[in-house]
Amino acid sequence: MLKADQIQYKHRDFFILDEVDISLEYGEFLAIVGPNGAGKSSLLSILAHEIKQGNQKVLFKDKNMGDWKVRELSMHKAKFSQHNSNEIPLQVKDVVMMGRYPYFDSQPGKEDFEAMNKHLYETDIYHLKDREYSTLSGGEKQRVHLSRVMAQVENEIEKKLIFLDEPLNNLDVKHQHKALEIIKRFTQNSNSAVVVLHDLNLAARFADKILLMKSGKVSAYGTPEEVFTAENISSAYHFPCTIFENPVNKNPMIIFG
Amino acid sequence: MLVLLAIAALRIGVYDFNGTSPLTVLIKFLQGDPGLELSDRYVIWDVRSARIIMAIFIGSMLAVSGTSLQGLFKNPLATGEAIGLTSGATLLAAVAIVLGGHFRQYLPEMVQFSLTGFSAFIGALLAMMLVYRISTSSGKTNVVMMLLSGVAITSIGFSVTGFLIYLSKDEQLRDLTFWNMGSLAAATWTKNIVLAVVMMVSYLVLLPKGKALNAMMLGERDAQHLGINVESLKKQIVIIASLMVGTCVAFSGTIGFVGLIVPYILRLLFKSDYTFILPLSAVLGSILLLVADTISRSIVAPSELPIGILTSLLGGPIFIAILIKFKKSL
Repeated sequence: MLKADQIQYKHRDFFILDEVDISLEYGEFLAIVGPNGAGKSSLLSILAHEIKQGNQKVLFKDKNMGDWKVRELSMHKAKFSQHNSNEIPLQVKDVVMMGRYPYFDSQPGKEDFEAMNKHLYETDIYHLKDREYSTLSGGEKQRVHLSRVMAQVENEIEKKLIFLDEPLNNLDVKHQHKALEIIKRFTQNSNSAVVVLHDLNLAARFADKILLMKSGKVSAYGTPEEVFTAENISSAYHFPCTIFENPVNKNPMIIFG
Repeated sequence: MLVLLAIAALRIGVYDFNGTSPLTVLIKFLQGDPGLELSDRYVIWDVRSARIIMAIFIGSMLAVSGTSLQGLFKNPLATGEAIGLTSGATLLAAVAIVLGGHFRQYLPEMVQFSLTGFSAFIGALLAMMLVYRISTSSGKTNVVMMLLSGVAITSIGFSVTGFLIYLSKDEQLRDLTFWNMGSLAAATWTKNIVLAVVMMVSYLVLLPKGKALNAMMLGERDAQHLGINVESLKKQIVIIASLMVGTCVAFSGTIGFVGLIVPYILRLLFKSDYTFILPLSAVLGSILLLVADTISRSIVAPSELPIGILTSLLGGPIFIAILIKFKKSL
């Protein structure tokens, strides 16, 4: 689905990313984890074709990202950004409806309203739909954007892809799980997701593959069981930890300190 | 509403049609009534109707250019005047008026004919590109930089225009003063046709951009993810807004603040959804300028007040109101 080899990203002489290989299968949930400044967001930006440097190629469905038509591409993939605008002088439903912009020209159609309402419900913000966006709390704003991104990929096309940069910021426990369940359900229809996460235990529980990054390089890649070993994590974060088996779902469970 | 206002504006005026209402005179004219006096004919068609139509066109274009610039810069303070577009246009138009005689013969015929208008457009475009370059880096616009570069361009424009006034002969001086105050008194049907063409082309491109401007509120990167071709959107708005402001300045001089007031009122009345306020600003801009022009030519009758004075008088307080409202986010 998504393939890029030897990604390099430089700021002056400093390598933010170096020799990163990415390959994503259909239906895969890939979590990118790592300490602050490891290059997680930069990697996501390059994969989502936001930053273009040199003749770096990112192949999406065997076709270079840059060769896709902008509008067509927006029906196949969407991105949830880390820094969302605080001041949007519109109502919540208008912001979510933006996700449907690729699908209509002047006025939204019936299926656009259906998609909007469906995702307002799923992210638990239907009751806020007439509120001014700027009056919402941080977590509520996050859910508005999640709703917008999911509404954008609500269509008949098969094998879609979403990028999410720290979608759980500011969310409470319940909505953290809800958000990850929404993403997980999306990937179960042979769609894929690349998600930057900070909570390793949640990553272990929901992701199919983990990419652990450290100073711009891939330090470990594989299933949660393969990547989440005490030495991998301690050396990446410079912080001691112990790994147990989660008694509920048999995933690795990481306890720091 | 616009039509009613236009009819009202038609009725107001210094000239006396011997007791008949101006509307009947216009209808008679349109029917080609041979009984109509020559002076009646001239006043109703070539003076008053031409002027009303020009007010409608110019008001509409100024308002739409203001609204789309605000969308592009994601800020309600971005208007032709604040960011130096108008000054840029006035500056080059002034250069064309005063120095045009010296190099006019070297230019191709097409350009010669509309030298002032063409220079005003180039001036607006240059100012626009300069401001955008200075104030925007990696997709984010710095509002303070934007306004400050506007101040810089305005002050350059002011000093050069001042120097040109110093240089100019009597007749040129009158032309220049007309520029700086702004007036619709020089309306003719030829100008109106040019305005109509510019307006139609511009609106064909700009008016469907409401969705794209909304998406820009999320930031340029996210707008791109929503299938908006951000680079071409920016270019289109920059060029079309300069074209509109340039043309308006070329025909009517500096009429300030229409591009600021109109979107402000629309935001207060409705919401900031550009799919609404972009087309509505085209209408409200016409209404506003038509009312302002009618007041300006009747308030001190038989003389008239330059319309730029009126719109600035309205616009100044609104500008301050916006500043106070956005004090925190600046």
